Amino acid sequence: MGRSLVDLLIFVGKRLLQLVPVLIGIIVLAFVFTHISVVNPCAIWYPHAKQTILNQCYATFRQPIYVQFFQYFQGLLTGNWGQSQQGVLVYPQIAMALPATVELVLASLFLMIFIGIPLGVIAAQSSGRWPDHLVRIFYLSGWATPTYLGAVIVAIFIAPYLGLPSGGDYSGPPPFREWTHMSVVDALIAGNLPWTVDALQHLILPAAVLAFINMGIATRMTRSSMLEVMPLDYVKSARMKGLSEFVVMYKHALRNSLITTTTVLGVTAGGLLAGTVVVEEVFTWPGIGLFAYDAITAPNFDGAIAVVAVFAVGVVLANLIADILYGLLDPRVDWR
Amino acid sequence: MSAPVLSVEHLTIDYEVGAGTFHALADVSLEIETGHVVGIVGETGCGKSTLAQAIPRLLPEPPAKYRSGKILFQGTDLVTFPRWKFPTIRGTGIGMIFQEPLNSLNPAFRIYDQLAEAVRIRQHREAGRTLVRPDGEAPYDYSRPPEGPGAGAVLSKVLVPPTAQDAAMHRAARARPDLKEEVLEYLRLVRINDPETILGLYPHELSGGMRQRIMIAMALSEKPSLLIADEPTSALDVTIQAQVLTLMKELIDEVHASILFISHDLGVIAETADEIGVMYAGHLVEFGPVADVYAHPSHPYTKALLRAAPRRYKADGPLDSIPGSVPNLSRPPPGCPFHPRCPLAEPRCRDEPGPPLDPAPGRLPGHRSACYFAAEVASLP
Repeated sequence: MGRSLVDLLIFVGKRLLQLVPVLIGIIVLAFVFTHISVVNPCAIWYPHAKQTILNQCYATFRQPIYVQFFQYFQGLLTGNWGQSQQGVLVYPQIAMALPATVELVLASLFLMIFIGIPLGVIAAQSSGRWPDHLVRIFYLSGWATPTYLGAVIVAIFIAPYLGLPSGGDYSGPPPFREWTHMSVVDALIAGNLPWTVDALQHLILPAAVLAFINMGIATRMTRSSMLEVMPLDYVKSARMKGLSEFVVMYKHALRNSLITTTTVLGVTAGGLLAGTVVVEEVFTWPGIGLFAYDAITAPNFDGAIAVVAVFAVGVVLANLIADILYGLLDPRVDWR
Repeated sequence: MSAPVLSVEHLTIDYEVGAGTFHALADVSLEIETGHVVGIVGETGCGKSTLAQAIPRLLPEPPAKYRSGKILFQGTDLVTFPRWKFPTIRGTGIGMIFQEPLNSLNPAFRIYDQLAEAVRIRQHREAGRTLVRPDGEAPYDYSRPPEGPGAGAVLSKVLVPPTAQDAAMHRAARARPDLKEEVLEYLRLVRINDPETILGLYPHELSGGMRQRIMIAMALSEKPSLLIADEPTSALDVTIQAQVLTLMKELIDEVHASILFISHDLGVIAETADEIGVMYAGHLVEFGPVADVYAHPSHPYTKALLRAAPRRYKADGPLDSIPGSVPNLSRPPPGCPFHPRCPLAEPRCRDEPGPPLDPAPGRLPGHRSACYFAAEVASLP
């Protein structure tokens, strides 16, 4: 049996090693595409500059592309993530923006798990009857809502109605140091309850919008895998033990349905990381989506490459975590 | 004779699916005396499993629909029983062993947890009636109304905070005692050699025979008044079948449970059961003491079924079979369901409603047959 802690560590180690070639490939691709897609970046950066400055700029881009790449990659290996044309360093910006996005994604995942999965169970239990149809209408309307529309409606109409803020992560500059740049976590570290509540109030709406739009996948997977599991004999034998319907459903049946749902949620979480751009823009959430948008339109080559690489790492890590959870939930999984 | 633990009276169940209505059980009546083993035989699709699952209300409704009849379990009619109370009759009341041991244990939990869950349910139900106070005084009896001024006592229980003694008692009742010893006891009962190792394993690490033993242990650990075994050996290979069957026979003697044993294997029923019921196309066509039914079948179908069973002494030639095929349950034939294949059939078998399950003429009391010509069956080849 390969289910000891050592086996798990070896499994995780292997997957992290696989991350290295993936990351290098992503950086190469991102570098090539950023550099060949913009025909003359110098003209965009310096529209009214003198010829001497333009010539300086051209000097860099007249080098062969592999020379440019090795210069960039050398910097990356020494910890220099590059800078924008205006000289703003990329790394500190990402270090500030990424945690905020991760916080938003985790909050919406939390809602998807604790609302989406029970909804799936309810739908499966009443398959074909009105609660099932209601749940389906709910998640399909989320699925069908364009992100920008949902976000704008919530920000403009629902936020004032509920008395919740519709922008930013705090109501003002917080009176404590932001260690992690996750608003709720920082407020908790500072032990400042009013600011924690304030941060939560800012977090809830963007997280709810993201969750509403992406919840369909969790609900639908839970519903279909519950429908697969429910007629099986072990659900009947759990019922025949004399357990209440709630325990039968949420302990015996759901435990086995979660195995598929977890995988799907892992993929969704990875995708969400890169999919928050619009929601962050509407709710002015200081996350990486805003930074990515600016880096691509500027164009800020170093910033764009870094964002792509960070997203790739996020997707791989989310899938890795899903795989680990999958193994923990299903005792038949062998780590080797 | 003591009262029957279960009596099914004129039970009729249909499956309503998109393609039409399937008459799964038609007017089935049978009784299980306390301590008796009743075997049910029949072909695939004759309603055996429907009957097994209909009794503890395990059938999904819809598509199943209870048309009429009663299921009296210890005097309670389960057909009119409220759905939310179903768990109270399952486990300690009616236990069940399923056909597929590979699927009947939850793959996500260890053997110990699954068995302990069953033991815990039984202990809770036993304790629910008699919670012992820590000072050893008279136990609470929750089954009776509180003494003294009824409603006032209930109110004062709610309004007055519980004493330290009461709190300690309820804590003791809620605490999860280590059930290892009791679980091991039941694993030993089903002749598992190394029960300590088994406890920490998951079902997929065990063979089919082992899993079926654990299922049996799980059902027995709740000490059910009635145990339903739905083809417990059909999914196992032949050597394991023999082992599990031997075990079941030994256990039947040891635990003195009332058992409903479903099987399509006439030999298995002959060895285990006291009474046998023969089912055909949703009807119970013959019911009676095992020896009498086997020696003197009083329904043409039973006779044909016994003839079709492979015998050891038959040297060569094809096995006997029943001409024709099982009727489509969505369009059952009029009258007696067996008449299209019956050698004794006459016009009245088709034109009159199906014959009732009446005492077979000239046979032991309790031997009943649903045939107009029960007396003439003996003359069939």
